Amino acid sequence: MKLAPLFFLLISSFVFAQEINPVNGVKTSRPGLIAIKNATIIVSPDKTIEKGTIIIEDDKIINIGLLTMIPKEAVVLDYAGKTIIPVFIETNSSIGLPKVEGRHSFFPQLESNKNGAYYWNEAIHPEVKAVDLYSFDEKAMEDYIKMGFGIVSTRQNDGIAQGTSVVYSLGTSSYNRHLIKSEGGAYFSFQKGVSGQTYPSSQMGSIALLRQALYDAMWYEKADDKDANLSLEALNSQLKGRLIFQSNGKYEILRAQKIADEFNLKPVYLGSGTEYEIISELKKINTTIILPLNFPLAFDVKDPYIAKEIALSDLKEWEAAPSNAYLLKSAGIPVAFTSQGVSGATFWKNVRLAMERGLTASQALDALTLTPATILGIEKDFGTLDEGKKASFMVYDNNPFEKEAQVLESWLLGEQKVYQATQSVDIRGKYNMILDEEYLTLEIAGTKEKPTAKIKIRQAASQTKPRVNLKKKKTDDKPKSDTLEVSCHLALVGNDITLQFNSEDLKWAGNVSLHAKFNSKFGIFEGDGILTDGSWVRWSAIRNETGDKDKKPEEKKEEEKDEINVWFPNMAYGFEKKPAQESIVFQNVTIWTNEKEGRIDNGTVVVENGKIRHVGAGSGPLPKNARVVDGKGMHLTSGIIDEHSHIAINKGVNEGGQAVSAEVSIGDVVQADDIDIYRQLSGGVTAAQLLHGSANPIGGQSALVKLKWGHTPEEMLIPNAPKFIKFALGENVKQANWGEFNTVRFPQTRMGVEQVMYDAFERARAYEKDKAARPNAYRKDLELEVLSEILKGERNITCHSYVQSEINMLMHVADSMNFKINTFTHILEGYKVADKMKAHGAGGSTFADWWAYKFEVTDAIPYNAALMHKMGVVTAINSDDAEMGRRLNQEAGKVVKYGGVSEEDAWKMVTLNPAKLLHLDDHMGSVKVGKDADLVLWTANPLSIEAKVEMTVVDGEVLFNAKNDLELRKKVAAERSRIIGRMLESNEKGGDTKPFNKKKAKHFHCNTFGEEASDGANEH
Amino acid sequence: MRTAFSVIFSLSALVLFAQNPKRILLTNGILHVGNGEIVNSAAIGIEGGKIKFVKNALATTIKNSDWDTIIDLKNQHVYPGFVAPNTTLGLTEIDAVRATNDFNEVGEYNPHVRSLIAFNVESKVIATVRTNGVLLSQATPRGGVISGTSSVMNLAGWNWEDAVVKVDDGIHLNWPSSVQGGGWRSKPSDTKRSDQYEENKRKIMLFFESAKAYAEKTDTEKGPELRYEAMKDLFSGTKRLYIHANEVQQLLDIIDFSRAVGIKFPVIVGGYDAYLITERLRDSKIPVMLPRIHSLPQNEDDPVDLPYQLPSLLHKGQVKFCLQNEGDMEAMNVRNLPFLAGTAMAHGLPDEEAVRAISLSTCEILGIEKTHGSVEVGKQATLFVSKGSALDMKTNSVSLILVDGNFVELDNVQSDLYKKYSKKYGL
Repeated sequence: MKLAPLFFLLISSFVFAQEINPVNGVKTSRPGLIAIKNATIIVSPDKTIEKGTIIIEDDKIINIGLLTMIPKEAVVLDYAGKTIIPVFIETNSSIGLPKVEGRHSFFPQLESNKNGAYYWNEAIHPEVKAVDLYSFDEKAMEDYIKMGFGIVSTRQNDGIAQGTSVVYSLGTSSYNRHLIKSEGGAYFSFQKGVSGQTYPSSQMGSIALLRQALYDAMWYEKADDKDANLSLEALNSQLKGRLIFQSNGKYEILRAQKIADEFNLKPVYLGSGTEYEIISELKKINTTIILPLNFPLAFDVKDPYIAKEIALSDLKEWEAAPSNAYLLKSAGIPVAFTSQGVSGATFWKNVRLAMERGLTASQALDALTLTPATILGIEKDFGTLDEGKKASFMVYDNNPFEKEAQVLESWLLGEQKVYQATQSVDIRGKYNMILDEEYLTLEIAGTKEKPTAKIKIRQAASQTKPRVNLKKKKTDDKPKSDTLEVSCHLALVGNDITLQFNSEDLKWAGNVSLHAKFNSKFGIFEGDGILTDGSWVRWSAIRNETGDKDKKPEEKKEEEKDEINVWFPNMAYGFEKKPAQESIVFQNVTIWTNEKEGRIDNGTVVVENGKIRHVGAGSGPLPKNARVVDGKGMHLTSGIIDEHSHIAINKGVNEGGQAVSAEVSIGDVVQADDIDIYRQLSGGVTAAQLLHGSANPIGGQSALVKLKWGHTPEEMLIPNAPKFIKFALGENVKQANWGEFNTVRFPQTRMGVEQVMYDAFERARAYEKDKAARPNAYRKDLELEVLSEILKGERNITCHSYVQSEINMLMHVADSMNFKINTFTHILEGYKVADKMKAHGAGGSTFADWWAYKFEVTDAIPYNAALMHKMGVVTAINSDDAEMGRRLNQEAGKVVKYGGVSEEDAWKMVTLNPAKLLHLDDHMGSVKVGKDADLVLWTANPLSIEAKVEMTVVDGEVLFNAKNDLELRKKVAAERSRIIGRMLESNEKGGDTKPFNKKKAKHFHCNTFGEEASDGANEH
Repeated sequence: MRTAFSVIFSLSALVLFAQNPKRILLTNGILHVGNGEIVNSAAIGIEGGKIKFVKNALATTIKNSDWDTIIDLKNQHVYPGFVAPNTTLGLTEIDAVRATNDFNEVGEYNPHVRSLIAFNVESKVIATVRTNGVLLSQATPRGGVISGTSSVMNLAGWNWEDAVVKVDDGIHLNWPSSVQGGGWRSKPSDTKRSDQYEENKRKIMLFFESAKAYAEKTDTEKGPELRYEAMKDLFSGTKRLYIHANEVQQLLDIIDFSRAVGIKFPVIVGGYDAYLITERLRDSKIPVMLPRIHSLPQNEDDPVDLPYQLPSLLHKGQVKFCLQNEGDMEAMNVRNLPFLAGTAMAHGLPDEEAVRAISLSTCEILGIEKTHGSVEVGKQATLFVSKGSALDMKTNSVSLILVDGNFVELDNVQSDLYKKYSKKYGL
């Protein structure tokens, strides 16, 4: 059989299937076997066959190889010069699915609006199956195919438990034929999506909700007596299958993995582009990461006034993002690629960019084929072109991993579709042309597929009158000015060309249209043409010089590979190496011990292995290789501990969607790369309680952290720290200053707050009883588990409070339920009930001098701390403010001013006393042998305005050093200008640019609602 | 006596605190003059509410009969009353309670709106500010493009008429931002040069040109335009124009704008980026009221202590500047103004320059330096005494306050509650 010429977008007839569907007419004819020969076949990441042959039967590859026998009955296609690559597999698509839309109401929506026997929260909808919803979207499919993709896993990207994807082969001939897997994988995320419900309003809420749903599913599977729940049924079946978690930000992978470990799950992760910053953590997880190719665009940095506001972290991300895959792969982490967010030419541009950074072609191919096939569990049929697998591949004119290439054809399940006809003839060259008795030169150049033509004519030979042609003079740069050039419009289809030109300078002034057939054997055109006057003429041309072959790919200069220097954290003031413990000797310092020794003048403190080894007057031991710090005239104290902080928290400080949210934990959302960590270290803070906000009466669990700049969120958490939870009272929890719409959630008064408390603890008691009664059948409730811990004395309460009535109330609630309120925070009227607090055993952590910001602080006085202290209440001064947090030494100084507390006692209010309130004083809070080496060296008495931090040490690591800070500033400036220089180059080359998102000084406050930090007023 | 003072000061609309003026002598104080100088053992003579002399106490013979009151300060520190410019103190009582907020009027161009008449001398917050040494404020409206007109007040008055030091001292213009974006909460948007910036500038220009034309016209047939009336004195130089802006692009444009429109006394309020263009600010003689230096750096990459350094950077660059405290909870926070100066001092500003940055420099910028801002002969006796350095929270302990030569009480609602509950507990 002779191959018919292929035309643009022609669908060939090699389509066959075992039809279940009735056929209109006689049964479909089958061409039998197809053999493709002489192609460069990239079989798999580690196998390429030059001039190989593939034998295809129906949708399968039945043979492949270099010297494969071609059966007689096969249709033979010669693909010499073409490259065949297995189809790419997209794991992260929403193609062909209806858009999800949410409803928004000004009034809070507390319950689910979804009809049916589903989960109570709209963000948990594992029952959604993409296979029930999808349809073919030809346009979108074509976009995928042109990038090289042939298989997609598509699902509605919405919500936390999103449901399952459908995996299908692209191509539109038959839904039945193209469906590969009806349930590809179950997708999850921490993004609430379009759900209109108030809960969850924060990432920690999303985390808690997902965990609760998983516990509910476990319980549901076993429980005898239960209401139907289709969501939980779906979730249970999904947990046995493939799980794909979509992360948004590098830390989310680590957060999700904590859940995976808890439930013994093994998801793969859709990354977000900066995974190279957490490589050592990812190595431990040992799973595949699907990486995006939508690398950040360069910022428009032409205006230096604007450029100066771009953060180094963003600049570094721009530079490092293309190296993501290489860096992960080099660390042995399996990676796949997703094309999500890129299209067309950008896709290949970015794949090649990733390769320029060190990724090999084989690794890139693997990331697009075999690895995603394995993720979706379709590697038996797809991912390579090995014998026995499905015939799904793309035909390119060149190897796209080496240079620019086009998809010429797709073969999807053995079904051929031609996107760009291959041009078998090459007409390029120089021709002598005769037209209407004129001798001309025809020059055909350009590419083989898209040739371009010019007609040249010697002026002397032309019949045109000589005249001045300014235009021509300008463009003519050759000394021989007697040659006239006319450019033509040339179209080539198969062996036929058409040629049009129009020039006043030629004999035939006006439009000339020619048509001819090409005889490739002799290199001759022969045909007819029509002139301006309508007369027909014959013309011909004979090639006397063949055209240039395609330019050889330029020898790639052995470019210096980009050394991507990832800092810890990867931003301004990050470390080049992860900080490590040192032996340090502080000599000649005034030591504020916070112990019975009081202040020691001219003393020595020795630090080894993260602990304080020696404290005393005079000199001390000198460990080997110790850093010796002469602190003459300086003061050494234990680090400041901020009892009430909201820095270093990611995506929401409040889970205010419900009045009780004990199940959420700030510990799940610690953000280790918050610049405020460094800024607070520069103010002598070494540890903090990161508190949930005050949007609801029973908030969430705290994270007790050390400010370990350069470390991971997990490493910031203080090991074995006591458990804490935030409670809140007053205006914030009753939503007094939240506007007219927030009048729905209970409580709206202080009266209601008391009842929320009683109700919560009564529920916890009942839960404990239930648990004891049926230990194997109860439903685990994360909220009540935490409340039970309070009842059992295993978890401490830090309660946001203002006025004396509510403080009194909560102590009554606690007394009646036999537990204690550990700390009242803010506690601005604590001075009015200090005697009662003392009797109850509660401590107070307050502001030094804040008041007048809302009605409930009209009676706040700066003497509060002094009065509580004098009444024997353990009193601390806290910040609740990222700015003031780095001046807590000044705030402690105010306690000396207001109420005349002694200097040493005032100092304890920001060090030892918060350690006591947080039950960390056995190893923190004072300068004592054996305690943690959390130390601050001050240039002066730390309570005085003159005091500046010279050095801050956390667990024996020097994390802030004033002298080094000056060096870092220079380094930051140098790194900025280096990358901006690179960006400018890219700007000048006309590379795509984008504006940037200014990292505003936004912060979480007690009252901040939602996942984004606010620059609104702090209502504390 | 009283009549005489009224006559002298009626021009500047200064009305005295209506108390019997006394002849007071303060001796043996460490005087921080306010002009950058320090007198280690000063004798300060006060008569009729004004400072009669400042001498070295050791070299001065005292005749007891010359004085109604002689106070031996025993090496306590004397300071001119500190001045808090650009503040809503007295215009708000409780931030979160809308009913108490009187600083933000509806409308874009409100030069005619005056803070003076809304100033609540009995604000409980004011008394707590005074007792840390802040004795004057510039009651400043907020919002819109032109927020309104401020007035300079002393913080110990019976009503706004006698509390005012300078009526309608200036107009406050919020310069539009040169960059846009940053977004809001869940929808961060891209930051780039603002598309509207040129247009916004043009509108402001047009408004000022119109006001200027109005100021020059002589026919009075048509009724007065309230807005333009209020603007008149900007061009004659009796009113300041306070232009609120931080970005370097804005600051440069403000220099050009002030020149082009013929503003006699432009003042930049904010000027976070001013340290980058100190030469141009110095040469164009535009002073800067620096932003609250107890703030976080505005850019992630900025040096951690850049806000603390700003005063010293401007001082080195010879730009006239003073400190102010606009921001979160700004009314109550005015009492921490001295500690802003203290922080500046710890970060490179010479000690007495730090004092100046909240006293004489401020008064020069406000245009009341002839009567206020330093303890010098001829000026109002508005000063206070602190047991230790007033710029350090540990030692700021105010033991005496004089406003226009009158003693002011040292108690406030907070110290009252302190005493009440100390008594309850028998402390």
